[in-house]
Amino acid sequence: MLDWFDANLVTMVDGVAYGLLLFTLAVGLSLIFGMMDVLNLAHGTLYLIGAYAAYALSDGSWTGLLIALLVGVLAGVAGGGVLAALTQPLAQRGHLDQALLTLGIAFIASDIFSKIFGSEVLPISVPSQVAGSITVFGQVYPVYRLLFIAIAGGLAVMVYLLFERSSLGALVRATVADRDMVRASGVDTRIVMFGVFAFGAALAALGGVLGAPILAPGPSVDETVLVLSLVVVVVGGLGSVTGALLGALLIGQVQTLGVALMPVYAPFLIFGAMLLVLAWRPQGLMSLVARA
Amino acid sequence: MGAQISSMRRIAAGAVAATMLLAGCGGGLGSEAQTVEGPVKIGLLVPQSGVYKSLGDDMKNAWELYLDQHDGQLGGRDVETTLADEGEEASTGQAAAERLVNRENVLAVTGVVSSATMNGVADMFESSQIPLVGSNASPTTLTDVEYIWRTSYVNDEPGKALGEYVADKVDGSVYLLAADYQAGIDEVEGFKETFGPAGGETADEVYTPFPTTTNYQPFLAKIRQSDAKAAFTFYAGGAAVDFVKQFKAFGLDSQADLYSAGFLTEGGVLDAQGAAAEGVLTSMNYNHDLDNEINKEFVAAYEEAYDKKPTTYAMASYDAAKVLDMAIAEAGDDLTSTTLNEAIGGLGDIESPRGTWHFNDIGTPVQMWYLREVQKVDGGYSNVVIDELGTLG
Amino acid sequence: MRRLGGVGLLLLLLALPWMINPYAISTVTRILVIGLLAISVNLLTGVTGLPTLGQSAYFGIGAYTGAIVSTTLTAVGPAQMLLAALAAGVAAAVTGPVAMRARGVSFLMITLAIGEIAYVAARRLDITHGTDGYAGIPPVVPLPGLPALRLDGLVYYYVLGGFLLVFGLVMLLLRSPFGLALRGLRDNESRLRAVGYPTSTFGVAIYCIAGAIAGVAGSLWTSTQQFVAPGDMGFSVAALALLAVVIGGLGSMWGSVVGAGLVVLTQDYIGGYLAGYGMLLLGVLFVLVVYLLPRGIAGLPLPRRVSA
Repeated sequence: MLDWFDANLVTMVDGVAYGLLLFTLAVGLSLIFGMMDVLNLAHGTLYLIGAYAAYALSDGSWTGLLIALLVGVLAGVAGGGVLAALTQPLAQRGHLDQALLTLGIAFIASDIFSKIFGSEVLPISVPSQVAGSITVFGQVYPVYRLLFIAIAGGLAVMVYLLFERSSLGALVRATVADRDMVRASGVDTRIVMFGVFAFGAALAALGGVLGAPILAPGPSVDETVLVLSLVVVVVGGLGSVTGALLGALLIGQVQTLGVALMPVYAPFLIFGAMLLVLAWRPQGLMSLVARA
Repeated sequence: MGAQISSMRRIAAGAVAATMLLAGCGGGLGSEAQTVEGPVKIGLLVPQSGVYKSLGDDMKNAWELYLDQHDGQLGGRDVETTLADEGEEASTGQAAAERLVNRENVLAVTGVVSSATMNGVADMFESSQIPLVGSNASPTTLTDVEYIWRTSYVNDEPGKALGEYVADKVDGSVYLLAADYQAGIDEVEGFKETFGPAGGETADEVYTPFPTTTNYQPFLAKIRQSDAKAAFTFYAGGAAVDFVKQFKAFGLDSQADLYSAGFLTEGGVLDAQGAAAEGVLTSMNYNHDLDNEINKEFVAAYEEAYDKKPTTYAMASYDAAKVLDMAIAEAGDDLTSTTLNEAIGGLGDIESPRGTWHFNDIGTPVQMWYLREVQKVDGGYSNVVIDELGTLG
Repeated sequence: MRRLGGVGLLLLLLALPWMINPYAISTVTRILVIGLLAISVNLLTGVTGLPTLGQSAYFGIGAYTGAIVSTTLTAVGPAQMLLAALAAGVAAAVTGPVAMRARGVSFLMITLAIGEIAYVAARRLDITHGTDGYAGIPPVVPLPGLPALRLDGLVYYYVLGGFLLVFGLVMLLLRSPFGLALRGLRDNESRLRAVGYPTSTFGVAIYCIAGAIAGVAGSLWTSTQQFVAPGDMGFSVAALALLAVVIGGLGSMWGSVVGAGLVVLTQDYIGGYLAGYGMLLLGVLFVLVVYLLPRGIAGLPLPRRVSA
């Protein structure tokens, strides 16, 4: 028993790191979909905005990283604003039209990024103090990932408190559950919705800046991020921060511990896990949204 | 009204019958090979988008460099290069190849990065009798062909070249880890072919989902647990960068030597890996520091034109141009796709930046393989040839 | 009026190999095949209200079945089409009930999972020859006793025949009571169920039919390309098929084919001339269609004339 843990504990820690990365990516999508009922397939593009900002601005110093964070998040919010504005006219037209539009935007953005940054894999610099590795539970582990766990974990806690324990969060959750009721009580739901869209986009871009050393930007990375986010959102349940966290941590472990235990089935694990969850609970692990 | 309809029907039926009868002369009939007088059209089929774009750029650069150095001529004829985007999948590659052969009517085609694409277009080149001088892709199963040539290598040769060396050098077991697609499987099979008979001991053989794996920690943990003293791998592109960086970050480099097929550290990926790649040992049919006259000139010219050192991908494309140059000259006045193909088959030794090589019976190179190590050179990291691994092909 | 247009279009399709070069003809052949795939998507998405990203799985099963049959059993095309439809239909029957437990985005994600699992399986199994693809497929024989079709123009006629056959069957299906019930499923499933229709059975039934159609399209693909690779059934194929349906107008079968044509042309043809810009052009196409054609191409008002 102890042997098993000795072999796999570090992998499970890595699973937490990966899961937290997925959370920062997916929670925005979950809220945007749950709140605005907008299927935003350009979500991976928001990650790329942050990741490319990290490539361009993070030069190995802490100030560089902070500048990258600032620029990345602002660019992400701007991107989110653009997406919200462009999808506004389609509000009544159903998910497929939104999918068509946002996918088109994602394709265009992907092409522009390739033209600017090239299609080679890009080296991401991290501040030198965290660029090395230390020994954790008897094995060597990169310092940056530990830092990431700390930061992303803190972020997750903040987002959770914000949405589940504050009055602002109650307002948002109410709008997800019953938009008309909230509007009837006098709140301008459009502001709430745009705010959530911007917040979700900012989180995705933030995930991009911080996650770039783990998941580097490149030509098909937006598709990878999008599919992973969709899986987490569907497993966790639309519109729920707790659901996104549970789903992300689960998928994180599937992708690390699962792969370590069953490497032969590695490519099937993530979708197999999703199918199992959906077969058991078609609405996801935790759902607030009344409509499917 | 009734008469109108029935006469319309008759016309329609007549048209259908006529088209059926004459269909034998319809689209797709390849005409008898016409002798080409004057300028020749060569198709350059490389990826211009997607994950293989950087290889496509290298191949395009080297091709254009050769033409520049020869006044835009091959074999004394002016050359018009028709560029086609191979894309990422076999379907786009097939469509692009069809366009080159059936619409642009090229004399020959060069390039092709994806092995799946090469398999998909092989039949078309064979039946249209148009030579394909491939400069990258090389499935191991493509052996019974007349019109397909490859100036690069065969997909199991980088592994085959290393097997014996690793068996001699490593005192312990070797962990085999490769990307889960045919090229990775071929490399490992090639490695095992020479590793086993030389007395090597395998710790395990695992394939990582490709291209979806970005986190290698679970696999590296297994290497650690196996106590292997070395690892043989195959990765290229983004996966190569991720793997090498994580190999170092998770401390595997203190336990095991990292051997690989040369693509792990070839070209732009080495820049992205930086210090993490130091000490990695790879096998390749070429390196920019090879000590011969042709290579020195080639590297200097390539660096001046494109501001970076040439890779094996560029070198193979350069050689493809050279092959066509020699063969077109050889075919002389009676230049058709068929005579060109015969001329290619009749070429002897080819003087190349990689040394001297020639085609074997199945149209792939007989060439020397080199062992390279990543070392710190002039403030940066570079592959340095440290040994010769023998001739294959 | 519409019948005249239909006959005119048919004549044009028949005369096509005489008018354009072999590369263009094989592009049109590919459009017909992808159009058939788009029709199978449309049956689920446009008619029954179930958006799907998984039809590429059944397309691939059909394509590989066609390949295996052609190299082990027979080169006769219709036999390949039948077996491909059977294999894909069975696969749909097995996976359908799982998918039909959900609706909306959950359904979409389940079908995505099915598509991805099938894609990975194609890459790994020995029977599909892995990632290097299944080569060595002999040219298709249209009917027992006839010679194999080697010219692009003749293969086009074979595919056109298969396409028209399936298209006709789909039209019959849509006009049948079952077809009307499907639209009821899309518009208000619970009410339909309350009135006594077995909506779950209908759902699985149309899922199998759509799967079989995708399988036939797959076998036609194999006959056209004489090669199958896992990439022919990947996520991008599924996504582009769905988008072709949206571009063409949900529910309109000929719209789906036109949408498929637009996507294929943009990607292969034009992208081939503006090398490297294929993705950008597709993206622009999508954005333009969303804003300019709110109900797809089929929603465009056609010129009206007093009927003859």
